Amino acid sequence: MKNEDDDIIICRCEEITLGEIKQAIREGARDVTGIKRRTRAGMGLCQGRTCEKLVQKILKEQLGEKAEKISSLTSRPPVRPITFGTLGGK
Amino acid sequence: MKSYDAVVIGGGVIGTSVAYYLSKKGVKVALVEKGDIASGTSGRCDGNVLIADKQIGFDTKMTYDSQLLFKELVSEIPYDFDYTQRGSIYIIESEEEFKVAKEYVKKQVEDGYPMRMMDKSEIHDDEPYLAEDIIGGVEIGCDASVNPMALVFGLSLEAKKNGAEIFDYTYVKNIRLDKKGAVKAVETDQGMLITKCVVNCAGVWAPEIGNMVGLDIPIKPRQGQLLVAEKTFPVGKRKIVEFGYMMAKFGDENYKRNVSPELEDLGIAFVFEPTLSNNFLIGSSRAFTGFDTRVSIEVMQGLAERAVRFFPVMADIHVIRAYAGLRPYVEDHMPIISKVDEVPGFYIAAGHEGDGIGLSQITGKLISQMITGEETIVPTDSLSINRFKK
Repeated sequence: MKNEDDDIIICRCEEITLGEIKQAIREGARDVTGIKRRTRAGMGLCQGRTCEKLVQKILKEQLGEKAEKISSLTSRPPVRPITFGTLGGK
Repeated sequence: MKSYDAVVIGGGVIGTSVAYYLSKKGVKVALVEKGDIASGTSGRCDGNVLIADKQIGFDTKMTYDSQLLFKELVSEIPYDFDYTQRGSIYIIESEEEFKVAKEYVKKQVEDGYPMRMMDKSEIHDDEPYLAEDIIGGVEIGCDASVNPMALVFGLSLEAKKNGAEIFDYTYVKNIRLDKKGAVKAVETDQGMLITKCVVNCAGVWAPEIGNMVGLDIPIKPRQGQLLVAEKTFPVGKRKIVEFGYMMAKFGDENYKRNVSPELEDLGIAFVFEPTLSNNFLIGSSRAFTGFDTRVSIEVMQGLAERAVRFFPVMADIHVIRAYAGLRPYVEDHMPIISKVDEVPGFYIAAGHEGDGIGLSQITGKLISQMITGEETIVPTDSLSINRFKK
């Protein structure tokens, strides 16, 4: 059942579409991290700052009650990209 | 109540491999995972399928056989898990390392593995961004890498197609034994699964499952951290590892690298892994921190320092994320792939430390052969839980 909305890009950094996210949900994803591990949505330069809210919304729409309650990406350093040179201090 | 020929506990790369190989043989399998598939160590690692860092002899052979199974898997399952066989390279910093490497390579070549020494001009032609003072290297032709999460999802979907039932977000509460002490059922928070056979593939959590049947499984979580780089040009072509990594891994006391005591304390050794998404990963670190998967700034700094030492060009490339995972560590660095004599029907496939991805295929194959009573493709005595009996 392909919907024309399925081509809409949800994660801009990794160019992941709505259709791919829906497919990941059909394959067992129940939270944003599950979507991320299956599709790369949220793995790019912005680390999900743009797409996380959208992915949460899609999960709710598709799964309703079955969506995992606590569903946000794990916060990990660095807060913003930093060069290896600066981080390594040389 | 549902009944199964075998219940696999753990939905990481080992559990899904075991479920895949069992279901391929027509065994009726249930896989129980407390969270999502690939949400533990297999979702916080890198994608090595390497013989490069293996001990000479059985360790290398088992891993090489697993590499061959990976090649078969690529044609067997439709799910793309980014398998690439580009070989790997050890980089060598000193004459002393060169000598040790030469001995190692000589023995591995005698055993028939595709390894060779590279001199200075050759390695710099091959990897033009490498620091100028690197004096040589080792090329390991058969090494490969995968996207570990895609591998695990692919195996679980394929096992499902073969008839396996996947119980994700399902917690194992207890394992019931009959009067003779043999496996009878697995009790979960979603109900009872009747079975005469359980495979404990719970990785760093395997001791917890072992406790349910009165077993002491000597596995400890050993944390490792990785840095993720932004998408960029191909800094290196293949998997690149500093030769000192082997020493860090096996803790050879006679060998000292030219690094600061801080880096040595953090167990940091340079590992570069290019990915098909054009990011690259930088490792590695080793520490016993219990079940803590937070990253530390000291380790991040150390990893970055070591990365720039080997690839000065990285100084201007951005790190976008750091993450940590827990390797299931066993004292002798060999996995436990074993039946348990004291508890008939109970099997263990855990304790692969940093080799779980690479050894996943042979582990799945061996356990499926043990359970169906076939002869195993390699002897399993040295993988038995009995080796820890005093």
